[in-house]
Amino acid sequence: MSTFRTLRHAPVIALIALLVLPAIARADEPSDVLRDVWTRIQQIAPGQDPQAAKPRPQAVPSGADAPTIALRDLSHPISLEKSIRAAVATPAGQLRLTIPDGQARLGDFSIGSDQTMKGDLLVLKGTADVYGRLEGNLVSWNGDIVLHSGAVVAGDVLALDGQVRLEGGEVTGEVRTMSSPAAEQAPAVARSPLSQIVRSLAGTTGVFLTLMLAGFGLVLFGKSPLEVTSDTVRSSFSRAFIVGLLGQILVLPTFGMLVVGLILTVAGILLIPFVVIVFALLLIAGVVGGALAVAHAMGESITRRQMAQGRALSPNSYRYLLVGLACLFAPWVVWTLFGWVPVAGELMLGAAILISWLLASVGFGAALLSRGGLKEQFAGRFIPPEMLTDEFLWATPRYGVPAAKRPDGSTPRSGTRPPDGPR
Amino acid sequence: MIRPLGIAVLVALASTATAAHAQTLREYSSTRQDHGESRLATTIQYTGGTLELMPAPAGILYALRLTYDADRVAPVARFDAGTPRLTLGTEALRQSGGVRVSHRGTPPAATIGLGTRADLDLDIELGAAEANLELGGIRISRLSLQTGASKTVVRFSEANPIRCSEAELSAGAVELLVVGLGYSRCGEVDFTGGVGKVTLDFGGRWSGPIHLDANMAMGELVLRVPRQAGVKLELDKFLASFAPAGLVRSADGRTWMSGGFAGAGQQLVVEVETAFGGVTVEWIE
Repeated sequence: MSTFRTLRHAPVIALIALLVLPAIARADEPSDVLRDVWTRIQQIAPGQDPQAAKPRPQAVPSGADAPTIALRDLSHPISLEKSIRAAVATPAGQLRLTIPDGQARLGDFSIGSDQTMKGDLLVLKGTADVYGRLEGNLVSWNGDIVLHSGAVVAGDVLALDGQVRLEGGEVTGEVRTMSSPAAEQAPAVARSPLSQIVRSLAGTTGVFLTLMLAGFGLVLFGKSPLEVTSDTVRSSFSRAFIVGLLGQILVLPTFGMLVVGLILTVAGILLIPFVVIVFALLLIAGVVGGALAVAHAMGESITRRQMAQGRALSPNSYRYLLVGLACLFAPWVVWTLFGWVPVAGELMLGAAILISWLLASVGFGAALLSRGGLKEQFAGRFIPPEMLTDEFLWATPRYGVPAAKRPDGSTPRSGTRPPDGPR
Repeated sequence: MIRPLGIAVLVALASTATAAHAQTLREYSSTRQDHGESRLATTIQYTGGTLELMPAPAGILYALRLTYDADRVAPVARFDAGTPRLTLGTEALRQSGGVRVSHRGTPPAATIGLGTRADLDLDIELGAAEANLELGGIRISRLSLQTGASKTVVRFSEANPIRCSEAELSAGAVELLVVGLGYSRCGEVDFTGGVGKVTLDFGGRWSGPIHLDANMAMGELVLRVPRQAGVKLELDKFLASFAPAGLVRSADGRTWMSGGFAGAGQQLVVEVETAFGGVTVEWIE
């Protein structure tokens, strides 16, 4: 019994896992929220001076095994910043750096007004105050550079995650600043998988309802063209797909030729705006109408199959459209529910797009083949509709068991003209 | 069954992990003090975002301040004192997926100041940018402006201290407004346009006759000319409209002139080739 109950709850557990696991997996740091809260507490706590976090001023020892950071060329601050970040990511007290032709300092550092320092200078986690002269490049990381009156830096100056304040000092080279990426990230829109699902579901439902309303309108006011196009889809599926494919390729050249032709006739130039609008409307009607015809054909096939199995259903175009549209949107619903799953989500989206495109191409091709539902040549209608009376259908079963039981025993093959049908 | 489902929904709602991929915005600045440079070949290249260009404060040769998406572009600030040549702006990173035009967060932005003591041979190349370029007071010996898909406003609010040999303006699919071309002191103005609306305003103090060679494919070209200026316009159009605004057509049928062109103190000679669209002349009182 308990096993049964566990099994009954399995889908719920799976759902929880599916919703929570990706949220954890996608978080940059699982402790982000806690860290934010701790940072805020630190900010409002009395007696917490941010300056207190500054290290005691000291020289950074160098050595043969210490990482080397060259400050001779500061024109690539991003790579230089990476090198410094990597170098300082060592436990406190073990920091070692080698600056070719220069030195590194940890904490605040100043050059006095009577001092001249030769070589490049790197100041980490402190303010670099220059009153005197520096003959080399000056770089600060996590600290400001202040060039006081009378100060001269014969080289370039770069502040990484800090500011350069020119308070009367002179720099013969370039003055650059660059902020750290974390401090400047744009506010991201936080979206949990559930909100993502709801958002996608709302969009999918909206499109579904729009197409459903358009389809019902088409059934109401243009049932005959819809049925002809739908029959064309069923009877000439491959042909409709090929025509649809060619149609997509030729849409733009046809439009171009039309416009150029009108321009060449000079008088036709006036018609161009109308032609553009009519062409666009026809194209939209072809694509949307074709898609609805595909849905109609799918719905009709499914409904008839269910009726053949003995289910009592009302076969009408509204049902066909509803069932067919549900089938068309099935891949999108799957993507809506599981689109957030890494990799699989992208695959589902690709599959949904591919299926929709294939069916839309078939519908577009059927719309072209049937001239918008006006031509029955490819609709598989061998008998004029006026001949399809109840008596004819009752007396002339075309397929299936009743046909097999006919006295002559011959069952016409699909798509062939019935031997006793009108010619 | 309902209770566990409710728990599942609550847990999912409580999980607020960020799923959206944020752009990595960074700030970058680059400044150089003026050390007596007299000439500078300057190129400004900006891929996307908003750009403000203006004269720099005294004592500054150039100043660049950028807010940029570090995943897509890299800042550029190259100065070669030997040539001397300067390049400022951004360049697209390889395999970055192109330049993002629309931004949900803070949009990329650049502010560039150019010194007013050195003579500049100025090239400006804009991508999908919205640019506001104030060039008044900058010493421009030659100007080249190439804009892609952008909205660009160029202003000469003050006179160029030196003569400018030519201004080459090239626009793709844009809305381009150039105000105060009289202040630019450029004798030759070449304009090549693709699609869009382009307004060339010749207001300001002229230092000599101006020759404009305009080639516009599709779109609207508006020429705004001071009322006292004499205008001679040669028009080669195909399926394009032209509003002469008081210009008189000559016998050859292709040239239009304002009254008293020969004796006008400010002369503007315009050669326009256009296919589709329209050319309009407006007078500035």
